[in-house]
Amino acid sequence: MVAEELLRGLEGLGLEIREALYERQGFWFDIHCPRDRIVEVAEAFDEKGYWIEDVLCVDWRERLELLYHFNHWEDPRRLSVRVQVDPADPEVPSICKVFPGAGWHEREIHEFFGVRFKGHPNLAYLFLHDEIDFYPLRKDRVPIPEEDKRLLTSMDFSPEEEDAFWINMGPQHPSTHGVLRLILKMRGEYIERAEPVLGYMHRMQEKMAEVRTYAQYYPNTARLDYVGPLAFSQCFVGAMERLCGLEVPERAQVIRTITLELNRIASHLLWLGTFLLDLGATTPYFFAFDDREQILDLMEGLTGARLTFSFFRIGGLYEDLNDGFLEGVARFIERMKKRFQIYDDLVTGNIIFVKRTKDVGVIPREVARRYGATGPTLRGSGVAYDVRRSEPYAAYSDFPPEVVVRQEGDSYARYLVRLEEIKRSLMVLEQAIERVPEGPFRLQKTPKKPVPGEVYFATESPRGQVGIYIVSDGTDKPYRLKWRSPSFSNLAAFTEVVKGQLIADAVATLGSLDLVIPEMDR
Amino acid sequence: MIEWLKRRYREDFGGDPLRLALAMVGLAMILAVVVAFLYLVVGRTLKAVWSAWGWDVVRLFLGMVGVMAVVFGNALFLVWAERKVAGHMQIRIGPKEVGPYGLLQSIADSAKLLAKEIITPRLVDRPLYLLAPLVIFVPCLVAMVVIPFDARLQVRDINVGVVLILAFSSLTVLAIFMAGWGSVNKYSLIGGVRSISQGIAYEIPMLLAIIPVVMMSGTLSLKGIVEAQSRLWFVAVQPVAFLIYFISAVAETNRTPFDLPEAESELVAGYHTEYSGMRFSLFFLAEYTNMFIVSALATVFFLGGYKGPVLPGVVWFFLKTYFLIFIIMWFRWTFPRVRFDQLLNFSWKLLIPLAMANLLVTGGLLKL
Repeated sequence: MVAEELLRGLEGLGLEIREALYERQGFWFDIHCPRDRIVEVAEAFDEKGYWIEDVLCVDWRERLELLYHFNHWEDPRRLSVRVQVDPADPEVPSICKVFPGAGWHEREIHEFFGVRFKGHPNLAYLFLHDEIDFYPLRKDRVPIPEEDKRLLTSMDFSPEEEDAFWINMGPQHPSTHGVLRLILKMRGEYIERAEPVLGYMHRMQEKMAEVRTYAQYYPNTARLDYVGPLAFSQCFVGAMERLCGLEVPERAQVIRTITLELNRIASHLLWLGTFLLDLGATTPYFFAFDDREQILDLMEGLTGARLTFSFFRIGGLYEDLNDGFLEGVARFIERMKKRFQIYDDLVTGNIIFVKRTKDVGVIPREVARRYGATGPTLRGSGVAYDVRRSEPYAAYSDFPPEVVVRQEGDSYARYLVRLEEIKRSLMVLEQAIERVPEGPFRLQKTPKKPVPGEVYFATESPRGQVGIYIVSDGTDKPYRLKWRSPSFSNLAAFTEVVKGQLIADAVATLGSLDLVIPEMDR
Repeated sequence: MIEWLKRRYREDFGGDPLRLALAMVGLAMILAVVVAFLYLVVGRTLKAVWSAWGWDVVRLFLGMVGVMAVVFGNALFLVWAERKVAGHMQIRIGPKEVGPYGLLQSIADSAKLLAKEIITPRLVDRPLYLLAPLVIFVPCLVAMVVIPFDARLQVRDINVGVVLILAFSSLTVLAIFMAGWGSVNKYSLIGGVRSISQGIAYEIPMLLAIIPVVMMSGTLSLKGIVEAQSRLWFVAVQPVAFLIYFISAVAETNRTPFDLPEAESELVAGYHTEYSGMRFSLFFLAEYTNMFIVSALATVFFLGGYKGPVLPGVVWFFLKTYFLIFIIMWFRWTFPRVRFDQLLNFSWKLLIPLAMANLLVTGGLLKL
């Protein structure tokens, strides 16, 4: 196996490796790495074909701990590299030369914790505005030192060459779907560089988690990704169940699977509509929304909400199935199967659509790996990686979804992957609604205070892999909570592929990534 | 109708006869003022002019009024029609609240647009910015003058009507560029630049598609061209030219799939991003009038104009024109937008060579 080979190599380098308990922690191995050797370690991971999942930081007061999570497509086991940093001298070599996708995570850590990454080309602030004067996620109030303040506004917009100009796409722009801002350096209609500015929707979710109890924080999980909220809820409750070692009733798990898949279809339909809107076709939008509306009606009957469902609970569900829900799902499946013909006629075979998306925004495998792209974006680039298969949660081990893969890596491939995924989700639903077991829908008793410890949990949201990392100190509030949001990494990959594109192609590529801004701004 | 009147009475006048009577008196006074004005000012002026120039002036006056009526009536109708067509294609029903079938929706919309504040951004190039809406609108009126709606329903039959229309419709590009440049907005500027290259690229195939028609009918007068189709519509002998003309016409009017100068998802609103209120609606009006003009010309050149059995000519003319407009709308609500380089390639590499070949073949066959 790849992991064992890699670990042998790392042991040869003299690093301390500890086996972790996957069932309770969510990762397989801990690798303790001295601060100055992280680049070396990252190179070893890169060589073995690992992709970067997440970089995060925990403030333990007397030390800062950096965690680098790596994973492998063929051998999906999470390895966690830990680096201890002295808060008095928080300087770490940057690994963004090896994994450019880590660059944004490092910027995030820099603005929230004040860790300086040596060799990072652009440590400008990603989320926060430039009047902030302390590091928000540090446990003690630490003022920002004077020499770091210039990094708040380090972006340089002066045109370096004669006929290049800067253009602001967003935060109010029809095709950025929300408040994403892209600063584009243009030469005529061609884009030379794209610099995303995030944070217009930033709500400091991770700090919010630290001042609320677990139950109080739970509804927030639905506010991260308002298009596919259940994947985030599942991630949170799944992590808590893993941390407390809870055995969720079978019935709850199957119902979770059904709602998760319905939510995935609804999200893909919304994406389909808005993507075509980006390309200038308005009509498919209405057809997609008509279908999505059927799901929302079903979900409204079940959860009482149409958008931010807070339906899951730690150890089960909020409510049992209502009458007629399963019949409604069966009706929806029948209806949806007939609708694909409409989409094929209207969109898939449309010559203008094909010309606009084929060979546009090609994300090669390697780029996807180094940037940590996941979800349909990754599967469109020829990688059969799906968290539902690699780390089954809910009842996905009973109803394994088929993984859809396209080799091309362009926007058209991503479109086809998503359309096909709707069909595969319908297949999962068909099996699941036949086999909803009887029994309780939630545990009678769940602990208010989890045991001290740390846990990682990953789910497959419609946009890609959602990850959550929770550190519990035994109180009723999380000590540290970190989200890994899929759009964040996918957008980072976008900045790489957009170079040299026409502005119209950039819009097509951006649309094909299915970004949800509140989710990456957190 | 009675029900509707009763409801209006209840809702607008609160069911109070006094308020209704007051409103009626007010309306009567306005009418009286208008009639007096018409009689005193226009009537006397007309009389004076009449003795000097005679019928020509009446014709000019009626023509002006008629053209304005067609332009505004057409725009009001098309805005409504487009929303209805879009609605029915998108599994909804479109406007339905204002008037029967929502027919008065466009009137309500234009009242809203008239009442809106007109914002002039501080840094704009004022002369260009202010002139652009006028420059785009006026050529539409001129082009209307030579269109034969019926055998005897034409403001002026000019023997170079085709040339006049083509010349004036080229001005649209100028206006769009004035708007794009004058707005001092990068999105507007890109829209303006796109408009110029698109305008040039599609004017050539359009012209090349019309020339075979002119060659076959042997005249540049629009009426003459219609008369030449007494036996057979030109679309039967020139199908390729018709297709080329129609595609170029859609591109000339900046309609989807060729609406790149105002591509919403890329350029926000393109050249008219910075315009508001009535200035914006002049662009809007011009777009719908242009749509009417290119469809009317397609009718004249290829579909036999006002020729047709049983029904009066003017009815045939409008039927054919609005059918073509419906097809343009159909395009808009089914196709995505093409990319800019694809758009130019399509014209330069496909349409223009095809139109040239068509022209050569027509010329050769006519000589035989």
